[in-house]
Amino acid sequence: MDARYDVELVSVTKQYGATLAVDAISLRVPKAGYCCLLGPSGCGKTSTLRMIAGHEGITEGDLLIDGRNVTDLPPWARGTAMMFQNYALFPHLSCLDNVAFGPKMRRVKRAERHRRAREFLDLVQMGDYAKRLPNELSGGQQQRIALARALIMRPRVLLLDEPLSALDPFLRVRMREELKRLQRELKITFIHVTHAQDEAMAMADLMVVMDGGKICQTGSPYEVFERPVSAFVARFIGGHNVVPWRNKLIAVRTDQCVLEPPGAVPGVRGWVSNVEYQGPTVRVGLTTKDGLEVAAVLRDDVFKQRPLSTGDEVTLSWPEASVHHLAA
Amino acid sequence: MSFFDYDRTGIYPAFLLDNYREVFTSSSTLRVYGSTLKFTLVVWAITLFLGFNIAHFLIFHVRNGKVRIVLFLLCAIPFFTSAIIRTIAWIPFLGRSGAFNQALMGLHLTTHPLDFLLFSDFSVVVAYVHLYTPLMIGPIANSLSKIDRSLIEAARDAGASRWQTMANVIIPLSKTGIALGSILVMTQVMGDYFIVRQMSGGQSASIVSALSTEIQAMQYPPAAANAMVLVVIVAVMVGCVMRVVDIRKELVK
Amino acid sequence: MVDRHPRQNPIDARPWTFYALGMLFALYMLFLYGPMLVIYTLSFQGPNGGVTFPIVDPSLDWFRDVWRKGQMADIPAAFSRSMALASVVSFLTVLISVAGGLAFRRPFRGGGVVFYIAISSLVMPSLLVGFGIGLGFQFLGLQPSLFTSALGAQLTWTLPFGLVTMFAVVNRFDRSWEEAASDLGATPFQRLRYVTVPILLPGILGVALSAFTLSYDEYARTTLTIGARNTLPLEIYALISSQTTPMLFALGTLTTAVSFLLIGTTLLFLVQTQQRRQWHRGPDVEPVGAWTRDTTSNL
Repeated sequence: MDARYDVELVSVTKQYGATLAVDAISLRVPKAGYCCLLGPSGCGKTSTLRMIAGHEGITEGDLLIDGRNVTDLPPWARGTAMMFQNYALFPHLSCLDNVAFGPKMRRVKRAERHRRAREFLDLVQMGDYAKRLPNELSGGQQQRIALARALIMRPRVLLLDEPLSALDPFLRVRMREELKRLQRELKITFIHVTHAQDEAMAMADLMVVMDGGKICQTGSPYEVFERPVSAFVARFIGGHNVVPWRNKLIAVRTDQCVLEPPGAVPGVRGWVSNVEYQGPTVRVGLTTKDGLEVAAVLRDDVFKQRPLSTGDEVTLSWPEASVHHLAA
Repeated sequence: MSFFDYDRTGIYPAFLLDNYREVFTSSSTLRVYGSTLKFTLVVWAITLFLGFNIAHFLIFHVRNGKVRIVLFLLCAIPFFTSAIIRTIAWIPFLGRSGAFNQALMGLHLTTHPLDFLLFSDFSVVVAYVHLYTPLMIGPIANSLSKIDRSLIEAARDAGASRWQTMANVIIPLSKTGIALGSILVMTQVMGDYFIVRQMSGGQSASIVSALSTEIQAMQYPPAAANAMVLVVIVAVMVGCVMRVVDIRKELVK
Repeated sequence: MVDRHPRQNPIDARPWTFYALGMLFALYMLFLYGPMLVIYTLSFQGPNGGVTFPIVDPSLDWFRDVWRKGQMADIPAAFSRSMALASVVSFLTVLISVAGGLAFRRPFRGGGVVFYIAISSLVMPSLLVGFGIGLGFQFLGLQPSLFTSALGAQLTWTLPFGLVTMFAVVNRFDRSWEEAASDLGATPFQRLRYVTVPILLPGILGVALSAFTLSYDEYARTTLTIGARNTLPLEIYALISSQTTPMLFALGTLTTAVSFLLIGTTLLFLVQTQQRRQWHRGPDVEPVGAWTRDTTSNL
């Protein structure tokens, strides 16, 4: 049995009573890759993650990890480790004991497991905090301990449940780099659940967009951004206008759109609804007479040449090469 | 309104030390204390076992919130009905010709009625457990419900078996509940007056019932001394438990 | 290698401990309610029957006996006294507990002391408290009586319960509701009346109910502080010492019925208010936004 993939979901379904949370999804995650599950709230991404972890049972379908069918196995027998959204650090144990918890459950002797725990504390740069209790640490520090605790189990797959949502923006960017770095160093697969598309795009080797319990698109961030398969993906991933054009539905990148005087060129005609200054660029939002909302992201010098304000009438246009046809 | 009336020993200053000496040296006092302490320990152990398991069942195993509330109420409501009635309810139940014996004989499990069921140490313990287990269930359930579920999942993730999770995560985190429940039960048993007398048929005595005899005999000074000793002992017990756990934080949380 | 088989995943199945504990629980229920059921059935004992089974000819005789004024006991009068005392105790407990609960939100000087006094009166042996108060009254030359000394004694039992409950309830109370009310122009009194108290109402009712029932059934603390006329539990005790007839069981059934009635009605009311106030949520599938799926939210 070849194990080309670290994680493989085969038509996996999760049903809670009458609710179908995950609907027969199939996915293959290559070895030692960084995979992001992306989607709006309620799309099933967290359920999927928890099924991979073993904290939820799989209703139908199979799950293979490193070629082994682990569908019915408990969490600790799968070769996975999970980093929880709220970190779930044991409040009554010191950082060292928290990290040493896994080995302790495997009955590793105290000296040995403390040594190993210190090793991993150093790996996440928290070596000085061994004796502290979790409630004495900041959010970012707690996250590192949670990471160390998961990694000490030497998992094949590390599962992260919205790890960056609780951090402030500056810390978030730093942790992004750290997580990527760790993943490359350890050469294991990370599966990371998030609802922030910029995060997913920045970190993923493989991006999986989900909605309503189904997978809408998988691919590299580049593929998904350049060639979204559906209107939903195009809208969710951001940076696209979804427009009915010549009896078809197309997506055009907002930063490839231009604004011309009304009627000068073929395009979508509308009124400026808001102007957002973004630093190097300016985002101009328009509303058409049918109520469709579109936008153009212009370089600031381009905007300065022909400044616009709310209520101005313009035509939104784009180069032919930028058109991308959507399936639905 | 005074909770403790320290004026008592002050009224009869001349007898102060004599009374205490009597208390400590009299053999009947020691016997009574011994028996009450014995009951306290046994009842504490049983209510802890029962209380913890039932609280655990209610909090962790019952999935439907409504069902859980109903079951919880079922446990709690008897506590709010008359303790006296509930105690004496055991008499027709456990007696020689009582319901339990009749049932046993009817099922042919025994040939003649079991004597030890009533008016014995057994019945005293039974009555105590019957009355005071809700006191254990309440605080423990409260503590258990405060445990973050993701902690238990994290333990499972790290490879803990159910017993390991229990020992390493659940029990340490429910210490305050256990302590509070223990205090409530122990103090009630130590301070009990009615149950022992009833259920043991007058054979055993409790500290407080001995006290009440003294009170009725108008022997206030020795009674007061006895009372003070009891208070001190109970206070020490409570203090010990509270050393182990910081309850105030828990209650105000 | 791979096959489709819809069956329940062992991860979602219930562990064996569920069944073991479930049985324990069932047994406990039997244990808890068994004796009381025995008493209820025995209340219907015939006039010639004894205090144990078998039931001779079922009748309501003993129930009627309860209402008669016997020489040992006077049930109806004791009953009304119990009710009256319990009502007063309940009312006072609520007042003090609510005030206490609200006060404790901010640490204030002496807060620790008050707290410890409250807790210690809970762990004091009941009889001793009664003893202490009774003696205190004698010492001061006052006659112990129903609404003074007994009231005080019972309060020492109900207040700790009330305070602890109110602490828990008040802690769950979100200050921002009060702030919103002030923001919208409510005076402190209006705020109390229209926002704080209504939201806390279920907790307050709970405290009132438990204080009432605790007082109604209270024996040890009341006995030495009651003075000449008895409350119901004391009458019952007097009866026990003198004779055990099925009349006692009938009495027991009636008292318990009263307790249940009270508890039942209050609970129903509480459940109704809680249901109306509950935010409607979908199944607890995903932590963030399970309620976006369920569109039947009501506010």
